[in-house]
Amino acid sequence: MNREQKRAWAIVISMSLATILGVAAFVVHLLELGSPTLLVFAAAAVQGTGVLVFFRFQPDKGPIAFDERDKQIQKNASLAGFGAVYLFIILASFAPIGILGEKGSVPVTSMPFLLVGAGLCQAYAFFVAILVQYGRGGKDE
Amino acid sequence: MNNDHISNQIRRLRFDHGEMTQQELADKVGVTRQTIIAIEAGKYAPSLPLAFRIARTFNASVEDVFQYQGGDGIVPDRSA
Repeated sequence: MNREQKRAWAIVISMSLATILGVAAFVVHLLELGSPTLLVFAAAAVQGTGVLVFFRFQPDKGPIAFDERDKQIQKNASLAGFGAVYLFIILASFAPIGILGEKGSVPVTSMPFLLVGAGLCQAYAFFVAILVQYGRGGKDE
Repeated sequence: MNNDHISNQIRRLRFDHGEMTQQELADKVGVTRQTIIAIEAGKYAPSLPLAFRIARTFNASVEDVFQYQGGDGIVPDRSA
């Protein structure tokens, strides 16, 4: 496993856990089961740890650490990320109509959160695409 | 659908050249070991410059190393 794969695993695992904790916090808040503060802090801590781990991986040893295949994988992953943002924008545009109805309203202060959501969506799709493309590796001979 | 596939003889050529390891070949042609593994397994088609560097390492032609498995290479005329 190379550095890019290790970094991708760190982000995918931390983002997945943070998302689960975030959804749990939302459910706790929605059903008024108690204060979701602890869950929100836990989600932030997990995500923060993932980002810290991401920056701690050292470059791979050996004369060549990054080649044409790695470059192609990064390029395809970027395309996957932008595709995910596009889908996110479509979903975010139409979901309020379905959830709140045609006469529903959304506070304009919630709009900047779309940017955060799009960024997270792009990052998640990018790193998942990296893991998928590298696959399970191969036999060392 | 595109059924093009490029097979290769890298594994056999490595063993014919003093049981060269994937890492040794990777170092000689300037890529990572993972890329050599992917090429050998047919999961990645190398760029032309890389294909030439690999062939040159084995003192062979590109077609001795890589074989195109995608038919006769003639695009059918659809204008008729």
